[in-house]
Amino acid sequence: MRRALIAGCGVAGLAAAACSPSAASSPRPPEKVYASTCGYCHGANVGPIIRGRALPAEQVTAVVRGGLNGMPAFRPSEISPAELDALAQWVEASKADPKEKGK
Amino acid sequence: MSGPTIDRRGLIGAGVAGAAALGLAACSGEAPVGQGATLAKGVSKADFAGAIKAFRAVVGDEWVFADPETVKPWAKTYVPDPGGRHRPVGAVCPATVEEVQELVRLANQFKQPLWPVSTGKNMGYGMSSTAAPGQVVLDLKRMNRIISVDPDLCTALVEPGVTYQQLHDYLAENKIPLWIDVPTVGPIVGPVGNTLDRGVGYTPYGEHFMVQCGMEVVMPDGEILKTGMGSTSNPSAWQAFKWGYGPYLDGIFTQSNFGVVTKMGLWLMPAPPVYKPFVVRHPKMEDVSRIVDAMRPMRINNIIPNVVLMMGAGYQLAMFNRRGDVWQGTEPVPDAAFEKVGAEQGLGMWNTYFALYGTPGMIAESEKIVRGAFEAIGGEVLTEEEMGDNPYFHHHATLMRGGLNLDEVGLLRWKGAGGGLAWFAPVAPAKGDETRGQTELAKQILGKHGFDYTAAFAIGSRELHHIIALLYDKSDPEEEKRADACYRELVTGFGEKGWASYRTGVHAMDLVAQQYGEVNRTVNARIKDALDPNHIIAPGKSGIA
Repeated sequence: MRRALIAGCGVAGLAAAACSPSAASSPRPPEKVYASTCGYCHGANVGPIIRGRALPAEQVTAVVRGGLNGMPAFRPSEISPAELDALAQWVEASKADPKEKGK
Repeated sequence: MSGPTIDRRGLIGAGVAGAAALGLAACSGEAPVGQGATLAKGVSKADFAGAIKAFRAVVGDEWVFADPETVKPWAKTYVPDPGGRHRPVGAVCPATVEEVQELVRLANQFKQPLWPVSTGKNMGYGMSSTAAPGQVVLDLKRMNRIISVDPDLCTALVEPGVTYQQLHDYLAENKIPLWIDVPTVGPIVGPVGNTLDRGVGYTPYGEHFMVQCGMEVVMPDGEILKTGMGSTSNPSAWQAFKWGYGPYLDGIFTQSNFGVVTKMGLWLMPAPPVYKPFVVRHPKMEDVSRIVDAMRPMRINNIIPNVVLMMGAGYQLAMFNRRGDVWQGTEPVPDAAFEKVGAEQGLGMWNTYFALYGTPGMIAESEKIVRGAFEAIGGEVLTEEEMGDNPYFHHHATLMRGGLNLDEVGLLRWKGAGGGLAWFAPVAPAKGDETRGQTELAKQILGKHGFDYTAAFAIGSRELHHIIALLYDKSDPEEEKRADACYRELVTGFGEKGWASYRTGVHAMDLVAQQYGEVNRTVNARIKDALDPNHIIAPGKSGIA
């Protein structure tokens, strides 16, 4: 008997289920996007801290899509337009996290 | 030993503030298709417009990008491109293999070349920019299903858009005690793209193509090929047995343009009971030779089972420091400056990172052998006990257990705000004298063009990859041109000695292919003509046009 787990958004048995975290139908929350992408550099001694600085959302969006200096660009296929809208708002409204390093 | 205090905020803060004015927003609605773009040879404006229109019908308007503004996220690159030859003219993002098949058929109809990328984040190798002008990026990132994980066979089958972060999260959420093996930028890249470019990681499963098993490939005519056991009536061994029957085909879909890989199997390492990372410090540049000679037998007999990184102080310091913190002159940083600042931050001139995996008894036995070998050649053998929270040790201790971080992105800040990086990666046999020769030649060529020797060696087993990070300020057009010239001289200068690269960026694919000789190129060209007569898949990839 084949015991392979079939991974369909974590629902066992859903072979070939539609599972697209970047699809508009299932946007990841901004905390998740930040933790799994942005936060590896920003606040981790690589890029500048961006939380708690009231960076305007439209500016965050522009930098994410275009890249800036050493920062890579992130495409709509990686961070969907809906996810980026929520992320940019979240960054603008965020409070500083004292655990982050790099000031 | 505690690490240095690092404050990087000032580095790009000013740049962030200025970015909005540059108009980098991605979604600008309707814009002229292909405006101002250089189209591929033989493709008319009408062909291009027709292809874009047809692509929209397949994937939807919102997943086709064909004007300079919206293509920007695919054009961002770190490699030198002073002539702007490597900018894509468009991007199309399918979500299913059926859509890929249809796009490939349409590309044939309109003779519009497609440049497939998986996650498009290979950093100093060109990201999602293209080898030749006029190509539309076939962006597979939306195809991000983890199709299966078998906890008994310790295998996975994934699509190209799956990142290591996603695979890591899946294993953690489902409490499957398997490790992943990541390259240095694991969170934003994935197994398919890295394996297809024959990249490496740093656990015992670090040679990624060795632990790849089975592919699904959309061929240039739109047909689907499943390699190995995948095309049998019950492909239950697809991820278990690599070879299938007859000629082994998986290799021709790596570093090539013979098809579009849409699924790939890989093997995963069972989490070991104990993991113990080490660093060996050596004080002098010339120590490189004896480190390699000491390491070679322990890699071949598997006392040290993982892909070893022997990191130069320059490469290490460039991750977490700005150049001005180390050296104020415009000439290349002298060894003495790297040595001095390195020592202040807990680094030797060479820092050799490896790990032991297994039961406590196995590790204790191996540790005796390893300590004996390195202490005999003047190495300081150090563990977490001595290194504590040293950020360099932490970085490598994370990588060698398949952990995720993006510390290496810090390299992009070494030479100012411009963000320029091209990795030059010549191969050599794991012999001390050749290693010393490579180090001397690299310093000579880099020095001639005014660049620093920021380098490392990845020791596979019988060979090593010399990973030279050519760091430059891409915002300075003169420096970008100089970096381009320097890279080309590195390729040809090393090539004359038989030290050809294992991999390169889009800016130098043809030049690297030349180092492997005309017969090799002709055979690849014949395969290309046979499988892809219209040359619609990634012309120029690996020098195969």
